[in-house]
Amino acid sequence: MTPPPGSLLTAENLRKAYGPTTALDGAEFSIHPGEVVAVMGPSGSGKSTLLHCLAGIVTPDSGSITYDGRELSAMSDAQRSALRRSEFGFVFQFGQLVPELTCVENVALPLRLNGTSRKEAERAALSWMARLEVDDLAKKRPGEVSGGQGQRVAVARSLVSGPRVLFADEPTGALDSLNGERVMELFTEAARSANAAVVLVTHEARVAAYSDREIVVRDGRSRDMERLV
Amino acid sequence: MNLRQWAADLRLGAKFAFTGGREGWTRVLLTAVGVGLGVALLLLTTAIPSALNVRHDRGEARSDYTYSQKVKPKADDTLVIADVDTTYGNKDIRGRLVEPEGPRAPIAPGLAKYPAPGDMVVSPALKKLLDSGDGRLLRERLPYRVTGTIAESGLIGSQELAYYAGATGLAPHINGWQTARISEYGTPNPVSAKSDPVLILLVLVVFVVLLMPVAVFITAAVRFGGEQRDRRLAALRLVGSDSRMTRRIAAGEALAGSLLGLVLGTVFFLLGRQLAGSLEVLDVSVFPSYLNPAPALAVLVAVAVPAAAVLVTLLALRGVVIEPLGVVRTTRPARRRLWWRLLLPVIGLAMLYPMIGKGRTEGDFNQYLVAGGVIALLVGVTALLPWIVEAVVARLGNGSVSWQLAVRRLQLSSGTAARMVNGIAVAVAGAIALQMLFAGVEGDYTKASRNDVNRAQVEVQLSRGVDADEAVAKFRSVRGVRKVVALAGGNLSDASVKSAGGQNRNSPVTIGDCAALREVAALPSCRDGDAFVVAAADYDTDTPVLAKPGKKLYLDTDQGMDAGREARWTVPQGIRKVAPGTDPSGMEHDGFLLTRGAVPAAAGQPVAQAYVSLDDAVPDVREYVRNAAAAVDPFANVMVWTRNEESKKFASIRTGLLVGATCVLALIGASLLVSQLEQLRERRKLLSALVAFGTRRRTLSLSVLWQTAVPVALGLLLASAVGLTLGTVLLKMTATTVSVDWSSVLTMTGIGAGIVLVVTLLSLPPLLRLMRPEGLRTE
Repeated sequence: MTPPPGSLLTAENLRKAYGPTTALDGAEFSIHPGEVVAVMGPSGSGKSTLLHCLAGIVTPDSGSITYDGRELSAMSDAQRSALRRSEFGFVFQFGQLVPELTCVENVALPLRLNGTSRKEAERAALSWMARLEVDDLAKKRPGEVSGGQGQRVAVARSLVSGPRVLFADEPTGALDSLNGERVMELFTEAARSANAAVVLVTHEARVAAYSDREIVVRDGRSRDMERLV
Repeated sequence: MNLRQWAADLRLGAKFAFTGGREGWTRVLLTAVGVGLGVALLLLTTAIPSALNVRHDRGEARSDYTYSQKVKPKADDTLVIADVDTTYGNKDIRGRLVEPEGPRAPIAPGLAKYPAPGDMVVSPALKKLLDSGDGRLLRERLPYRVTGTIAESGLIGSQELAYYAGATGLAPHINGWQTARISEYGTPNPVSAKSDPVLILLVLVVFVVLLMPVAVFITAAVRFGGEQRDRRLAALRLVGSDSRMTRRIAAGEALAGSLLGLVLGTVFFLLGRQLAGSLEVLDVSVFPSYLNPAPALAVLVAVAVPAAAVLVTLLALRGVVIEPLGVVRTTRPARRRLWWRLLLPVIGLAMLYPMIGKGRTEGDFNQYLVAGGVIALLVGVTALLPWIVEAVVARLGNGSVSWQLAVRRLQLSSGTAARMVNGIAVAVAGAIALQMLFAGVEGDYTKASRNDVNRAQVEVQLSRGVDADEAVAKFRSVRGVRKVVALAGGNLSDASVKSAGGQNRNSPVTIGDCAALREVAALPSCRDGDAFVVAAADYDTDTPVLAKPGKKLYLDTDQGMDAGREARWTVPQGIRKVAPGTDPSGMEHDGFLLTRGAVPAAAGQPVAQAYVSLDDAVPDVREYVRNAAAAVDPFANVMVWTRNEESKKFASIRTGLLVGATCVLALIGASLLVSQLEQLRERRKLLSALVAFGTRRRTLSLSVLWQTAVPVALGLLLASAVGLTLGTVLLKMTATTVSVDWSSVLTMTGIGAGIVLVVTLLSLPPLLRLMRPEGLRTE
């Protein structure tokens, strides 16, 4: 497959197996800057593995992943970590906030990992928290806030470093529908305003509805729904 | 709620303990090991007083001192026994020469019959030593044929070196103290064992110091795999268990580990008992059979330790609310109050304060106050420390991300850190205090010696009738002997002992060759046959009266033991006055100094001491001298003066304490590791997420290091302060000069730092494994 022109992140013929279980079997993927792509599929289809490979967290057994013209598999672990710190952002099903840190410290964490001073990092964090309507939780710890609030804090954390690609793995999986919708609204709005591409892994159609395009993963293979249409 | 339900819940919990998979098994095993160590330690400690009593009683039962100048007449039930104790290296050897005088002579405990002249029966430890290469030189000293061993009833410890050798011709040596005629063994008026106050302090401190880390270990162990257990309990809640039932089930799990621990503890105790039989601490060894804890105390231990483990589990669940849909941890523990935590240490100090300076006066030493005080102080510290840790950690500022992650973690759960700090603080504080106590007591002991080790290193007191010249010649022939000086003593009087009735004037006499006399006074010139008088001290009013040329005096060279063997001696014309000096033992020789030629032939053989100067470069030179002394005079008393011997003893105590403290800290290190791994396991998803958004592995590894290092550093700091305080109190109690043993403080701190490093290094492989992206998978 030839990557579509102007793609920011492209994957070709990805294969990945965990022991005897094949997670990806020739999966393809591409995304443009500012685009929101939903990766859908049933449980165990390989969509999370695809996300992990795209984000450079997991190395595929074969195939190629290109980010901004650079081959991910050619990068060292340290280079991929640096890429994730500066160019990518993440939201998981459970916010994965550090329980010991306050909400503002959690949001500021990616910036601090990048070497930004604490004051400056927390100032930027507060500004993102305000945009996601959780600035009043700044001094609370994750254990003291609700699931929806925690997920919004996690979204703020994913955006604070100004990433070019956001990876979201079932971001509303642990929320009720009302909270889930609010989180998705704020998330996609914020991502679009920052011109960040979003790779959204979900099995819920109502969540996928916030995307520009959908890719379905089944038995480790991907199909671009828009192109089929 | 009925008993059957309780039993069913506990049984269900016990079942879960063994069916909970690898984590469950690990928790049961760790709990069992912790409880086992605690039980074994307590049983051994409770057995110590009875062991010391048995030792004392056995020592009394074989006593052969008459404490009387009156000599018993020879009969068919008498025995002549001579004390010929000796020393080999640093080990004391109890030696007895025996000569039964009739068929009904008393048999010593542990012996079936007496050895024939030239034979000996020995303790098992002495037999082992004599049979080994290490005993080569001792075999020369004890040239008797080994014909049997002394049974346990005749020994006070498994490692005691002792022998009974058959002899002849002992009766002339009877003197009431070294050689005696007895018709029975045992002290006529036995006294009950009186414990040495310092020993009691030692046992108490060691008891508390060892038990704390075990408690810490149990606490860490019962919490292992807590997350999985909590999930299981939540599932039980979903199917209808109420919160009390879930707690009982959790208690049942802990009880299973505890009961297994009780079995392990018994095994550890029996092993430890056997091991204790092969050990010797401070020259004290015991037979395994001595170590029998009082039944009531044993039952108390068997009940209290498992109960404590269950209690810890329930306390751990205090901050956890188990709901049917999951487990909720209370986010912020209640603030710790200071006032009641101060009570225990204050009570401890208050109990110890009246004891200051009374530790060496046995009558005034209140053991209960001391025991209570030390325990209250050390246990009180464990109550105070969580508050201090919380207060200090709360004030730690922000730093790098790794520091921030570690500090925040500590702030959120300072209880875990405080538990670790408690163990370390008590262990290190106890070790420092004990080191100070020993260093202080030892320092005082060394200062008491006036011997000049630069002039001589061995003093040999020869017995009556031994030819000093022959002995000196024998010593001079020994390899490694540089110089030998022999001095004999006597008394000059203006009247015979027989006739004076105590109204005579007396002056001491020192007899030796010119070289020997130069050791005790500054002689202008000297030839054999010369006599001198030492310029008298103010208190000596007799010598100036007696030292009149031409005055006829009575010379007694047998020191009054055999009055009547005095020789007449006339003060020579031109007797010279010389300035006084001291002999190598630091003693001043007043009165008259006579060369051998000046002593009349009628005078008896004087009782002499030889001062031997050694070449330390010759290995075992002291043993050669002891062997020579034994060959020339079996009753000779050999005293090695070197300060080294005392410092060696102190060094072995230091090493023992160091090894003990290291073991204790290693146990705490193991607890730290268990807690650390448990925390990491609980945070698997979080760690993977942190790595996903680019956190460096170094950052997380450093945060683990800080997480261990901060509480340990805090613990060591506090432990040093507590240890120095307790050490000062103990020294003041025993009325010993207070001096700080900084080297032990630094050593302990170094060991603590090493443990932090080891725990961190051992945590890294699982940390790196847990940081893998697999942790992010939810399906």
